[in-house]
Amino acid sequence: MLENKPNILIVDDEKGLRLGTQRLLEEEGYEVTTAENGYEGITLGTACDFDIAIIDMKMPDIDGLDVLGAIKKVFPNTICIVATAFASYDTAIEATRLGAFSYIPKPFTPDELIYQLKLAHQQRTLLLEAEKLKKEREAQMLEIANEKSRLNTIIKSINDGVLVFNREGKVVYFNSSALKYLNLTEIKIGDNIPDEFPPQISKLLNKYISSEEFIGKTYTTQIEVLPNGELFVEAACSPIKNPDKTLAGVVVVIRNITELKKVELIKSQFVSMVAHELKTPMAAVQGFLNIMLDSQIPLPYEKQQEYLSRSVIRLRSLLDLVNDLLDISRMELKTKQREIVEIDMSEAVKSTLLILELDLQKKGVAVIEQFDEKLPPIKADINEITRVITNILSNAIKYNKDKGTITVTLSSVQNYLVMKVADTGIGMKPEEKTNLFQEFFRAKNEKTRNISGTGLGLTIVKRIIESYNGKIEVESEYGKGTLFTILFPINI
Amino acid sequence: MKLSDKVKKILIVDDDFDLLEQNKVLMESKGFTVVTAETGKEGFEVFQREKPDVCIVDLIMEEMDSGFILCHKIKKTELGKKTPVFMLTSATYETGFKFNSSTKEEKDWIKCDGLLNKPVIVEELLSKMENYFGI
Repeated sequence: MLENKPNILIVDDEKGLRLGTQRLLEEEGYEVTTAENGYEGITLGTACDFDIAIIDMKMPDIDGLDVLGAIKKVFPNTICIVATAFASYDTAIEATRLGAFSYIPKPFTPDELIYQLKLAHQQRTLLLEAEKLKKEREAQMLEIANEKSRLNTIIKSINDGVLVFNREGKVVYFNSSALKYLNLTEIKIGDNIPDEFPPQISKLLNKYISSEEFIGKTYTTQIEVLPNGELFVEAACSPIKNPDKTLAGVVVVIRNITELKKVELIKSQFVSMVAHELKTPMAAVQGFLNIMLDSQIPLPYEKQQEYLSRSVIRLRSLLDLVNDLLDISRMELKTKQREIVEIDMSEAVKSTLLILELDLQKKGVAVIEQFDEKLPPIKADINEITRVITNILSNAIKYNKDKGTITVTLSSVQNYLVMKVADTGIGMKPEEKTNLFQEFFRAKNEKTRNISGTGLGLTIVKRIIESYNGKIEVESEYGKGTLFTILFPINI
Repeated sequence: MKLSDKVKKILIVDDDFDLLEQNKVLMESKGFTVVTAETGKEGFEVFQREKPDVCIVDLIMEEMDSGFILCHKIKKTELGKKTPVFMLTSATYETGFKFNSSTKEEKDWIKCDGLLNKPVIVEELLSKMENYFGI
């Protein structure tokens, strides 16, 4: 018996032969359908994809060859066997041309028919298999095409520049970011390494290309593409390896590092400033000690005492500076865990004034408190708020005149809690005011000479206030006094 | 010839009150008369009034370039052309001021007659002065 019964269509007008063949084939395990004329043959044969069709050549209504042509047109994989009593060379050729598989002369013996059907069935299996493979292949091709365009889209959309060179150093691929980051108007596929290319990259490319051995390393280089730090890029060149371990090409990935460079510069400038600010008080202390140790310089006792006191003052300012720097560093690290609590600002100001009482007494400065009643609390970290109040108030004391006053006003305006600190001190010149919040800026004039400070106090205040989305403003008149206004958002 | 024959009075300009005093004491201990100023502006006034034999100017005063400006102003005067100006610097630390006076271009540009590192080493300063006056 045959596995999964092949479908056979018998088209024959001779009833005896048709039925006899049907019986024979059904016994052999075929599934048989019959048609008693050409018309029925076409109807059945084009309605269903038969495995095999046995078609009588001579039928009264429609010629067997037409039936064959009609079936083949719809189902090219149906194997057609032509049967006829009137065999001729011409009809045989015509039948083959129309796609007949074989030709069986009538009358045929059962063995002859079975043999032919077996061959036909094999052919059918082969044809179906081939078609299946073809379809699979087509599906694969489609998938590859999709994959390729997807990859292309990805590389085109990434923000980094991508450039690919083959082993002859010719451009084989690039995306628009590559043009942008190298400040080029165009690159042509197939061109050699362009002349206007940054020499740093060309040099690396040539290193890979000219080497006899495969270089497996990735090299990176930083390039200032546009002057004055306008565009800085980092190019990473990586080799592409063939399966035989030779060089296939080089891929260059170009990353925009302009912002990174800016941060680097700011950082290194900050470090330089810190180094200078640390060095100055140390040099002063060292200088005093050197003079005191120098046996050739006679110093009266009072002078020695004065130099020691002045050294102590410089060392204290050095310590303040280190503390301020630590504060800034903690703020920048953002690792500092904030403990947000409700803060009554009038309480916070009062307790800070207690701490500063000694400084107030020394200078004879009086504090006038003008606090609105029923102030809404603010939500913030108490240490940070205390730091803000301390820095502002200690400035108001330091830069005040002897026996001057400080007026602290607290009120709430719309969604802000407003703190105003006004002093009756030396005030600021307009140019001093502009630089006030800059790191290490200290107004230097004959009036500030004996006032110590790190130049970081207001920088810290500003950073804290702004981190809570608040604002700090300053008004000042030289020789008359300064007013700081802090607006702190009230969280509802 | 001794240095004291050529140099009697020294002008020191520095905005750091402590360093100014120290250099004054050091120079006075070597027998010089010292006049001082704390800003570039004051420094030029003192220079014209006191007519010192040597000027020692701190590079960085209240504004970043006032040491340079003072040096330029002194060197433009008739008296200044004959008066050596030495500049005090911790410049190796400062971004943007990385220079030394080793090349002619730098010397011409800075217009000073020598650079001194802070803190001042007296012997070094004295030998620079001796060199200038050919002693």
